[in-house]
Amino acid sequence: MDHERLQGFLYDMLLARAFEERAAQEYTQGHIAGFLHLYPGEEAVAVGSIRAAEPSDYIVSTYREHVHALIRDIEPKKIMAELYGKSTGVSRGMGGSMHLFDKERRFMGGYAIVGETFPIAAGIGYSILYRHLPEVVLCYFGDGAVNQGTFHESLNMAALWKLPVLFICENNHYQIGTEIHRHSAVVDVYKRAASYAIPAEQVDGMDVEQVYAHTHSALDRIRAGGGPYLLEFQTYRYRGHSMADPGAYRPPAEVRAFGGQDPILLATRELARHNPPSKSAQASDPAMDVIQQHIDKGFAAGHWQQEDVATMKAQIQQILDEAVAFAQSSPSLSMDDAVYLANQNHAHEVLF
Amino acid sequence: MATWPMISVMGGDTSHVSCTDEEALRIYQDMVVLRAFDEKTLTLQRQGRVGTFAPSLGQEAAEIASAHALEPMDWIAPSYRDHGALYVHGLPLDQVILFAMGRSGSYAAGVRALPSSIPIATHLLHAVGLAYALRQRAEPQVAMAYFGDGATSEGDFHEALNFAGVWQVPVIFFCQNNGWAISTAVSHQTHSETLAQKAVAYGIEGIRVDGNDALAVYGVVREARERATEGGGPTLIEAVTYRMGPHTTADDPTRYRPSGELEGHRAQDPLIRLGQYLAGRSILSAEDQERMAADSRDRINEAVARVEAMDPVAVEEMFRHVYQVMPNRLARELRDWGAN
Repeated sequence: MDHERLQGFLYDMLLARAFEERAAQEYTQGHIAGFLHLYPGEEAVAVGSIRAAEPSDYIVSTYREHVHALIRDIEPKKIMAELYGKSTGVSRGMGGSMHLFDKERRFMGGYAIVGETFPIAAGIGYSILYRHLPEVVLCYFGDGAVNQGTFHESLNMAALWKLPVLFICENNHYQIGTEIHRHSAVVDVYKRAASYAIPAEQVDGMDVEQVYAHTHSALDRIRAGGGPYLLEFQTYRYRGHSMADPGAYRPPAEVRAFGGQDPILLATRELARHNPPSKSAQASDPAMDVIQQHIDKGFAAGHWQQEDVATMKAQIQQILDEAVAFAQSSPSLSMDDAVYLANQNHAHEVLF
Repeated sequence: MATWPMISVMGGDTSHVSCTDEEALRIYQDMVVLRAFDEKTLTLQRQGRVGTFAPSLGQEAAEIASAHALEPMDWIAPSYRDHGALYVHGLPLDQVILFAMGRSGSYAAGVRALPSSIPIATHLLHAVGLAYALRQRAEPQVAMAYFGDGATSEGDFHEALNFAGVWQVPVIFFCQNNGWAISTAVSHQTHSETLAQKAVAYGIEGIRVDGNDALAVYGVVREARERATEGGGPTLIEAVTYRMGPHTTADDPTRYRPSGELEGHRAQDPLIRLGQYLAGRSILSAEDQERMAADSRDRINEAVARVEAMDPVAVEEMFRHVYQVMPNRLARELRDWGAN
């Protein structure tokens, strides 16, 4: 995989991580209200899959969708403003954290209800098929959503009608505090697809290159008229389910074990493999454990990536500072705005 | 990937639990009753004496043999077409007819059957709940849900089978694949080659059986029951059969059924097949068959006469039946109705 793409992945993941950590900070300071579900640990999935898609493809995501929106190149400041509930937000402040929406970028929404993405993706897929367009819908969902009736009904129809939908399971193994084996007798989500005669694969979701490659070939196959496909990415969230959940139900050793596979670290190492560091730097290569610590140590030796990553981080820091300043200085919604926006849907409206 | 062969005992498969000649005769007799019940009720509906009715013509083996494989203390959760299973499970004929006639009265006490479910697939979840309760109480019984091919596309099917799988409760999902969900053919219902393979997604046993082979149906349900009561978890059974009549009395299958399809299935009529099998074993004569048919008609006519002599359901029942404490809005409507 070429250097530029790998560097792009690294930038994307650093941005994703930094954005989410900043959102958490803003939340704890009381600037953001309501729900906030964060993505740290799962960055490789959104980055690898969305970068493999075309701008003409559609994305339907869940309530943990800030990063999907960021990687879809929605401006960070418009997402931050949305979290703040300001009128300059991407959903004009009416959606908040769980309802980012941008029809220009075919980002067809974050959805708050578990399992809500399936029928919406199937519907968009049907309209693509109906118009014979070479487009695909990327439909994201978690491991908990697969037991919803909507999963069953939508996958059945998608297979029956050969809809161009890529079902992407972000399997982080926990439905809030319910570990997968407690809600599913079959814990390998990809096996569920057999029931609908949909081809499926299980992929390491902590490896951005693999995520990219598998998504790319799945999209090619769908675009060629092969019908729906399901990818299960095995991943892990480092934080709790939402800001209201400390995630204390997970054994610390388990969290550490997955932290050792931090996707940002893997991408950093891949870069290093293409540009081998000096001997002294290799010797100081640390053991796998907490992400940030690893990244810092890996570049402490001062080879060129350190500068590269530092520059990236500085850029990102600036982008986020500007995003927060933008959100803070943006006007709040008034009651009049709410009434006006509530009446914006029209009969026969075409969204895309 | 696993294949899903169709189990057929009459076709020579001897690896399944066998049905004694006495049991097979009892199954045949009840199948005759069900066919006579169908014919009678259809006539009554055309005369305006019963409401909408879903006949079982062509599905008698699946319906009757499956219920014979259960024990009296097992629970069944039937759908609207399962008059036969209810009857075999202990519901008196009068009560079965009552359902279609709108007479006052209620289910016989002591019969472990839920009221027939009109919505598609909602009762699969109830069956899982019943099975969960059986396990909690350490009762060595099973719950069995009856449903059709169309129900397998419902979200409730998915949620029910998942919970059954993860909790490993003693439940049997008995799907009669009769080829048609009203006017939707199975090929328009799902891209899966079989319905039995859907069990894979839930980590449970999936079985495909010739649903017009009463002995095979009996055998696989018996085996599923044993597995469930021994802690082996749930089973999805796809009984492949054919609906020879309309979906209900409100349906005209000639509008959608390809010409010739029905004729092709006549040779598979489960009543004829079991009759020939039993005749071949010299335990059922032509006279026996005629006598059984005549007896069944007499019993049904008597039951109809008894039910028709009962009072019709009072309109007030509609109001009283919904809430334990009637809300003001309904009370007002009831008063208004009384005033007219």
